[in-house]
Amino acid sequence: MKRKLEDPTLDMTPMIDVVFQLIIFFVVTVTMSKELNRDIKLEQGPHGPEIGSEQDSRTFEIEVDKRGWISTRNVQLTKGRLEEILQSRYNKYGSFPVLIRGDFRTEHRDIRAVMDICTKVGLWKVSFVAIKVKATS
Amino acid sequence: MKKRERKAVESVQLEMTPMIDVVFQLLIFFLVTLKQDDIWSHLDVARPAADSAAKPEEKVDLLEIIVYNEHKLGGEGFSLRGNQVRLSDLTSHLKRVASFSKNVSVIIKCTGDSRHANLVKLLDVCAEAGLKNLSVFSL
Repeated sequence: MKRKLEDPTLDMTPMIDVVFQLIIFFVVTVTMSKELNRDIKLEQGPHGPEIGSEQDSRTFEIEVDKRGWISTRNVQLTKGRLEEILQSRYNKYGSFPVLIRGDFRTEHRDIRAVMDICTKVGLWKVSFVAIKVKATS
Repeated sequence: MKKRERKAVESVQLEMTPMIDVVFQLLIFFLVTLKQDDIWSHLDVARPAADSAAKPEEKVDLLEIIVYNEHKLGGEGFSLRGNQVRLSDLTSHLKRVASFSKNVSVIIKCTGDSRHANLVKLLDVCAEAGLKNLSVFSL
């Protein structure tokens, strides 16, 4: 009789395993999404081609916030430093795609400064990032 | 003797309730904090070389649009052949142009104080019309 009562108790080990897996998964993904400057609000551009997962891995993303400050992967750069980085990448790989994430409030002269640096390095084609589909939440 | 041993084993069993509480707390926390990302598009432009400013004159099909700061000069921030135009009119105009030829060069000239939003709006309109030959000049 006593044995029968003991049987339905759950084994805790797999549950703890799952909980730890979940925690590790969320910790890892949350830190990854912080690589973008969240202050930058993009303009709508629903007609442009979607930036998909088949994106060129050499793509270099430059962020320009509303004050005209330049950053990449949330690391702030001076114009000189940006030029050095682009130049060394250009020397290594040749031409590569450049994406500019400009805030919609940014003045054109700040975007121009970034484009001029790209041109100086030898990158004639640049792309601007816009919102294709806004997230529902 | 045997009975006492069994009792000791039973008391070691963990209570499930607080653990389930914690798991629900975690779930709710992540559901609330996780923000879904937007889907992005890219709008491609070419940048003219500094010394080839005279080059576009060779081409016949050429459309020049000026982007300016609408807060200073009024209108919607776009001007075509010296006249302020609305974005909706510009859209229909560009669509008409694109229906004849998609190879028309569109030259976009931006003033330094114009907002980046206007440039992106214009590039989106060009993408909608299907015009691919876009270059951005800065004034």
